[in-house]
Amino acid sequence: MLYYLGTYLQHSGEALSFLRLLDSISFRAIAGAITALLFTILFGDRIILGLYRRGSRDTKRSFDFAVAGSHTPKTYGGPLLVAAVLSSALLWCQLHETFVLMSLSAIVWFAGLGYLDDHLKIRHGTSDRGLSESAKLVLQCFFALVFAGIYVLEPLSPLPPGLATQLYVPFVKTPVLDLGWGYVPFIMFTLVAIANSVNIADGIDGLAVVPSAFAVAVYGAFAYVASHARIAEFLIFPFMPGAGEVAIICCIVFGACLGFLWFNSYPANVIMGDTGSMALGGLLGTVVVLVKQEFLFLIVGGVFVGEALSVVIQEKIGLRWLGRRFFRSAPIHHHFQAQGLADTKIVIRFWIVAGILALIGLATLKIR
Amino acid sequence: MKYLLTGGGTGGHVYPALAVADELRRRDPEAKFLYVGVRGRLEESVVPARGYPLRFVHARPFPRSRSPFALVWFALHLSLGILVASVLLLHFRPHVIFGTGGFVSAPIMFACGVLRRLGLCRARLFVYSPDAQPGLLNQIAGRLADRIGVVFEQAGRWFDMKRVAIVGFPVRRELLELDRAAARVALQIPEDRFVVFAFGGSQGSRVINRAVIEALPHLQAQKDGLFVLHGTGRIQGDGYDAVADTAREAAALGLDGTDTWYRRQDYFDAIEMAYAAADVVICRGGISTLTEVGVCGLPAVIVPLSTAAEDHQTVNARTLERAGAAHVLFEEAGWSDADGAVTMGVRGERLASIVQELLQEGTARTAMGAAARKLQRRDSLELLIREIDSLVQGRRPTPLALEFPVADGGPPTDPNRLMRFVSHRVKEVGGVSKLCPKELAYLRYQADRHLASEAFYEIPLGRRNVGVKLVGLLGYEERLDLVLSLLGDRRPASAMQRWAGGDYRHPGILRRNAIDFPLAMIGLEAGGPRVRAAILESLAKDPYFEVRAAAARLLGQQAGPGDADVESALSAALEDPTDAVLVEVLAALGRIGSRPELLEGLRPFYVHRDWRCRQETVHALERLLERGVLQNGDVAGDVEQILSTSPSFEPVFPLKNSLDSLARRLRDEPEGA
Repeated sequence: MLYYLGTYLQHSGEALSFLRLLDSISFRAIAGAITALLFTILFGDRIILGLYRRGSRDTKRSFDFAVAGSHTPKTYGGPLLVAAVLSSALLWCQLHETFVLMSLSAIVWFAGLGYLDDHLKIRHGTSDRGLSESAKLVLQCFFALVFAGIYVLEPLSPLPPGLATQLYVPFVKTPVLDLGWGYVPFIMFTLVAIANSVNIADGIDGLAVVPSAFAVAVYGAFAYVASHARIAEFLIFPFMPGAGEVAIICCIVFGACLGFLWFNSYPANVIMGDTGSMALGGLLGTVVVLVKQEFLFLIVGGVFVGEALSVVIQEKIGLRWLGRRFFRSAPIHHHFQAQGLADTKIVIRFWIVAGILALIGLATLKIR
Repeated sequence: MKYLLTGGGTGGHVYPALAVADELRRRDPEAKFLYVGVRGRLEESVVPARGYPLRFVHARPFPRSRSPFALVWFALHLSLGILVASVLLLHFRPHVIFGTGGFVSAPIMFACGVLRRLGLCRARLFVYSPDAQPGLLNQIAGRLADRIGVVFEQAGRWFDMKRVAIVGFPVRRELLELDRAAARVALQIPEDRFVVFAFGGSQGSRVINRAVIEALPHLQAQKDGLFVLHGTGRIQGDGYDAVADTAREAAALGLDGTDTWYRRQDYFDAIEMAYAAADVVICRGGISTLTEVGVCGLPAVIVPLSTAAEDHQTVNARTLERAGAAHVLFEEAGWSDADGAVTMGVRGERLASIVQELLQEGTARTAMGAAARKLQRRDSLELLIREIDSLVQGRRPTPLALEFPVADGGPPTDPNRLMRFVSHRVKEVGGVSKLCPKELAYLRYQADRHLASEAFYEIPLGRRNVGVKLVGLLGYEERLDLVLSLLGDRRPASAMQRWAGGDYRHPGILRRNAIDFPLAMIGLEAGGPRVRAAILESLAKDPYFEVRAAAARLLGQQAGPGDADVESALSAALEDPTDAVLVEVLAALGRIGSRPELLEGLRPFYVHRDWRCRQETVHALERLLERGVLQNGDVAGDVEQILSTSPSFEPVFPLKNSLDSLARRLRDEPEGA
């Protein structure tokens, strides 16, 4: 909204011409990140207390290996994160851009889905009675299908013609394959898998939020490169006009994540719940597809991929097929907890790994 | 009038439909009939022989495995079946559809439901649901039906009771006019003998055949007053040939089947003669057999088929038992060393003792017979026809008046819920020994049934895994040997599975549960030397870490201090490669160790990489000092050597702790002291 106000005002008088700043993507990105950060820090306490009063709390959930007493009373604070992102995005983005509409609708849809899940868990008083796994999957796939349809259909797609169905791989300059309509299931899988892997990783205070922040930062850089004609040409990336708005949203989410960490750091007074982790995951999945760097997520989101893989290995291969466990518990962070590592140690080690992976991911901008 | 009949798969579904059709045809020779069945099932041979046109649809039984592929396959077949059935219905345009349940009738019933909603079909739907607990399909079809016919009153509770009518099960006319004396003459059985008629349905049943043969030696003492009439059936296949197998086993006992007190026959052309001559019947729990036996007023010993869909035979049998009309003899799980499989069977001595009991107690027998007769309707066919007529005329049946109109299906069928149910029930009554014997027998039978299953449930052989847990929860000591066989079963998993990290056919989780549930709950003392040996072997040799950890934990909790074997086994286990096992081994050694030399074994753990191993070492040292195994002087110098840094700490949340203590106080003294 500030963007529209600025463009309107800068034509109305010479004195306001400095508002041209608002045309700059980097300015709006930084301003957006700071807005989201300040929003969470300033309103965080009040929103958290409000959520707690409304009964939006974690139900008692005891893992038999958890250290006694480590269970802090937690509030589901997903709405805080989502509100910060949405309000900042409404202020600083070009809302008519399809890129923006697609990203924001992903946040709203997945946050709504997660909220429904949290709500059911709270109402039934147990974490086993949320939205069923298949119901979640169906709702996610529905969004992913619509999203993929818009993405691939030429007249609706925000991407330049002919680009949408090309498959890019890290370390390779040119697209490796044109998937055609096969791109639709590929997008659906990517989107749903990423959304769920972030959801899985959200298990200890601060565990999901920092790797997410790193990942959106890297993808923000990629989006910025793709949106800038000269840089894109220099780094041999497909030029995507309008992708700069994705970079702004990435920065906003980065800011919101840091703001959320303000409260979510161990020992947390607020946790994301499914509302937050689904929204983050859904957004990450969308951004990954929008900047056409799906395979890069295997590196940048390595923490999430590892968490998801540990669940697959434990549940599908181990229990269902072999009737044994490979980890003490899955997802993998619970395995480390069961091994006797302190929560803080696990979380910070994951951050270190995520940071290194993010740097490697960033390096693929040039190493191609 | 045009009647469409559907239902099949087994005799229990086909014969009532045919009986009704015969009667309708007798009353109205102009009536037209169409039978809809599935290719390759019983109806394919029986229906055309009776002179009714037969058409086929696609249908499959509902998959029990819950695997998505099986579900999709099922759904595809069902939708195809519904399409074909719709065409049949539109073409034939029946006035009445008579469905007897079973998956065969699903397409027609659902097609009828759909077409009626579209206004394309006006047929009245009569669902006949003879079992004491309606099958899954009938429960759903009951919602579409205009009228539901049931045999037992309690079955009505699953349906809308305004549409339920009790109609009984139609039996052949011959069964209604029995002559005991004539039958005995015809069968050449002396008048004064107590006749036991044992048979497993027209096909025959391996379990009943073997049990009867096994029971014979136990009954030999009574052979002057007893006559056993044994119908073996003609079943062949699955490595079992009823006639030959039974003949061989009987010959081994020196009985050739034509003795003065034991006669064997593979098939009875007029089974009513056998009923007429009998004093007691040993049979399966299918509804048609039970009705025949009941109509004849005979006390029954029912051996329910444990693999029947939804265990419906057991529900039937228990309904009769509750009414005082029968004894239920559950199948039991047993381990066969030859092929390493768990099979169900009935031990001959149990059968023999029930027969002897019935032989001695004449009054009880008469009462059972009378109760059986009261439970069954002799005029079932008329009732069925009357209900169909009233359906055609659009009249409503007299509503059932049940005292507690709530469907109560007994224990849940889902294994996990069954387990919760059992443990809750045991806790509720205050221990296994306080359960009433009938209920305990039934719950133990559920354990047996699960033990015999090879189906997947959460893990491979998951139902057996649940069975293992149930053995523990129910303190089922008779199955301890079987559990030990499973624990020690060393047949390998498939090559693919071993490559991916699997080991034996009975997976690690199941073996761990075998220790954690039955062995731990029944106890090292009560279990005797076999249990002890099995646990020691698991600790030393099992390739899966959770099994070794469970074995060590059990030894630590239940072995007494000074047990030299256990102590040396635990000392040997200090070499274990897995930290999770070492933690348990160290804890156990602290509890039961009795030799000062132990200290040498513990010293390497002072600098072990896992802090929990170090912590357990410290605990063990403390315990050993407390118990006087070690003296303060022995350990004095060791304290500095124990690495005390650790990657863990216990966080303290003062507010949470105060809140907890407040909550505890409010919970423990709600009224205030």
